[in-house]
Amino acid sequence: MIPGDFQINKPPLKKLLGFGLLGLVGLGGLVVAVLVGIFVISAWFGRPVIFGYDEGPDQPIAFPHTTHVQDLGMDCTFCHRNAAKDAAATVPATGLCLTCHMTVGDGLAEVEKLRDYGERGEPINWVRVHRLPDHVQFVHEAHIRFFSERDNISASETCSTCHGDVGSMEKVRQVRSLKMSDCVDCHREYEAPTDCTTCHY
Amino acid sequence: MALTRRQFLTLAGGSATGAIIFAACGVPEEEQYVQGPLQMPEDMVSGLSNWYATLCRSCATSEGLVVRVMEGRAKKIEGNVDYPINRGKHSARCEAGLQALYHPDRIRGPLVRTGERGTGQYEEISWTDAIGRLTYQLEQLRDVRNQSAAVLITEPTGAHMGAVVDRFVARYRGRHMTYEALEQTNLRRAVKQVFNEDRLPDFDIDNAGYVLSFGSDFLNTWVSPVRYGRGYGNFRQGDRERGTLVQAESRFSMTAANADEWLYVRPGQEGLLALSMAHVIVADGLARPGSVEELTGGDPSILDQYAPELVEARTGAPAVKVRRIAHDFAAAGNGLAIGGGSAGAHSNGLSNLTAIYSLNHLVGAFGRDGGVIPNPGPPVEGLWGPPEAATYDEWQELIAEMKQGEVQVLMVRGANPMYGLPNASGFRDASYDVPFIFSFSGFMDDTTAMSDLILPEHNYLEDWGSDIPTAGPGHQMVGFQQPVVRPFFEGRGEHLGTRNFGDILMTIAQGLELDLELEADTFKDFLQNGARQLFALDRGSVRAGAFQEFWHGVLQRGGWWDVNAKAMPALAELPALPEPQEPEFDTDDRFRFNLIPFASTSLGEGPGAYLPWLQATPDPVTTATWQTWVEINLEVAKDMDISEGDVVRVTSANGSLEALAYPHPGVSPDVVSIPIGQGHTAGGRYADGRGANVLSIISPSVKDSETGALAWAATRVNIEKTGEWIRLPKFENTVPYRPADEHREVIQLTRFDS
Repeated sequence: MIPGDFQINKPPLKKLLGFGLLGLVGLGGLVVAVLVGIFVISAWFGRPVIFGYDEGPDQPIAFPHTTHVQDLGMDCTFCHRNAAKDAAATVPATGLCLTCHMTVGDGLAEVEKLRDYGERGEPINWVRVHRLPDHVQFVHEAHIRFFSERDNISASETCSTCHGDVGSMEKVRQVRSLKMSDCVDCHREYEAPTDCTTCHY
Repeated sequence: MALTRRQFLTLAGGSATGAIIFAACGVPEEEQYVQGPLQMPEDMVSGLSNWYATLCRSCATSEGLVVRVMEGRAKKIEGNVDYPINRGKHSARCEAGLQALYHPDRIRGPLVRTGERGTGQYEEISWTDAIGRLTYQLEQLRDVRNQSAAVLITEPTGAHMGAVVDRFVARYRGRHMTYEALEQTNLRRAVKQVFNEDRLPDFDIDNAGYVLSFGSDFLNTWVSPVRYGRGYGNFRQGDRERGTLVQAESRFSMTAANADEWLYVRPGQEGLLALSMAHVIVADGLARPGSVEELTGGDPSILDQYAPELVEARTGAPAVKVRRIAHDFAAAGNGLAIGGGSAGAHSNGLSNLTAIYSLNHLVGAFGRDGGVIPNPGPPVEGLWGPPEAATYDEWQELIAEMKQGEVQVLMVRGANPMYGLPNASGFRDASYDVPFIFSFSGFMDDTTAMSDLILPEHNYLEDWGSDIPTAGPGHQMVGFQQPVVRPFFEGRGEHLGTRNFGDILMTIAQGLELDLELEADTFKDFLQNGARQLFALDRGSVRAGAFQEFWHGVLQRGGWWDVNAKAMPALAELPALPEPQEPEFDTDDRFRFNLIPFASTSLGEGPGAYLPWLQATPDPVTTATWQTWVEINLEVAKDMDISEGDVVRVTSANGSLEALAYPHPGVSPDVVSIPIGQGHTAGGRYADGRGANVLSIISPSVKDSETGALAWAATRVNIEKTGEWIRLPKFENTVPYRPADEHREVIQLTRFDS
């Protein structure tokens, strides 16, 4: 062999495997990153909103909160009966709506839709606007009790703290992020417990 | 680019993994929606439960229940603490009521038979059609003035439903028969003879000091087991001296297992044993003054022939033990004698029970605390407890009429005579001669499966009702049953689904233009009218200014009762002691064993078999589940080379069945016992064809000589091995036991020779 000459060394097997592994990890990482990306994007634009909020979804019946709350002055708890008693605020039963709408609202397209649902005995699948992940527990009753006792106001006046002025919304939309930081900020402000088990149980 | 196999697999695997990860991270479709209810009851708050008081209708004596209901679904059954019968306790059979409600094989609407009778081929029809067909048949009979060819068979039905049934039958001029699987006729007649009471009394075990029980398995299944079990708790562990329980019985029952002493008595000799004890009480001078003369007709020496030593060979009970027990029983000062079950199921059943209950007069137990407490009459006119069931004599007459074609329409509600009447009675065969069989059962059972038209009634948790207990608590009471959930099949519309039995009868009566004079459109209204009568009494547990308040109060507490409205024990003269009679058995000595059937703890006399919880509830003595077994003496089994789980054929003169052997030291060598409850020909997926029905091989020829009640403990059988073996499903010995030390066994079973 001539001095100064160089010879392409066959890389040792160990090194070769190392490169191969690096390549695979890189490729795998890329795949994971793409999947996470797709998930984040879908969650962002999907329903219910988890990472952001926008104009609110279309509902099977375009229920106008404006008419009922602003024009008629109905209480939130008249329809959302269990909000102040229960974990879930609950949507009203079709029967409750029909108490009035058997006679009120003849000729209105949306009221006709409601009557059809009632006649068919088919439950209405409202599109969820507010949703917390499964590992979070939220109890309406405790929050409403706290605010109404603290400020000495009725249950219906406390709703806007988190839900905004629903009465002025044509379509209900989410107004707060409802992310953990949002919860914890508020809990700190009102000196509510911030133990993990307060919400994650 | 050519795709290699390896590349293809990588791509396929990768995309599948990706799809799974992607799908798992998303929000499930149903969470995107909030489903609004159609109707929301005022008191429904999701996540919070309501408790409603009602009654359990799965046992002979209704127990008061409270049912936890959440969002319109019944979730848990507990005992009603207020209810006088069970005071917060309840039995496994009540607990399993939820499974009856949610059973997958429930009948979901009226059915009409399309195939051959008994093949189980049915087609759904509407209620209007079904009731129309039944009404038409009844009308046809009325047109030819042959209404007595229509027979309605019900379970013991009292209180308001009983009133509706009675009026319907009376106005139509049909016939009504009450069916009881193990008839209590002898018990009722004995109570009538000894205490001159029309109603079964309450046995105040709570305050008794010495209970002497003959054949009545009262802690397990007899008459009102939860009430007696509650009393037994106070009797043993109350705030006074621990009571003593002696069980004289031919088989080792659950009550015998709990007793301080089990006294074996030969089948049918319970009455003789009682008389022999009477002799000891009188001879020892422990009898209540004055009672002896009246009971013996002025001549106490007639008892001398029953001295324990003289009758020892016949009763099989050692004289020394009988003397000691009789002495202790009378000397205790608060003794109570109870008899029933197999003791009353012999050809001399009535005489046995009369002798047993007469012991109460010797120790002055009638009307005393810790004794026999008579039950008062109903609080309002026209309302009574379940009537006496038809005797076996009457069933035989009915079967004869069926064979001659004199019965045109058979209507069955809550009763299952196809299962409970012995095969040899011929009821099943005779039913083919009845042109129309209608059933009101909400569940397929042996009788319903043979019917032409099924008009299913509600499950009791969906239904209105009331109850006056067969054996009351010693004061006036009416239990109220309200629906705790909406009828399960309500969503199928008014033409399908189930209905209240009273409402069905009222609709039929309308079609026949019969005036039942109920002054109500529905059974619920009738029940409410009944409550109005109680409201007008203005006494008892619920009193209110307005009826609506009273009604709510009654429903909230599960009933109305007045603890001060008691019966005065009134007996002008004590009845004479009966002459003992020798029991008859159906066959000669060709058959070696006395067969003593007994009601299963959980399945009862059969109706519980369709519920898996009850199937899986172990028998308290053998711990066996899901099967029919034969309890046979350990030594005899050894001689016959029979071991546990061997399938044996039990043959009587009237048929045979196969069951698993259970050699047991607590069974006498000449007795075998088999639990009742299994062996249904139809009963849903959990009961169909499981085990064997011991009632089917009972001899129909031996009856009580006076009352005509079936002597269901008087059949003799032989046993032979079939060579098959099946592991007996039981709890006992499924894990190796660990004694405290090597010198001690866990339980020692020894022979007791006084």
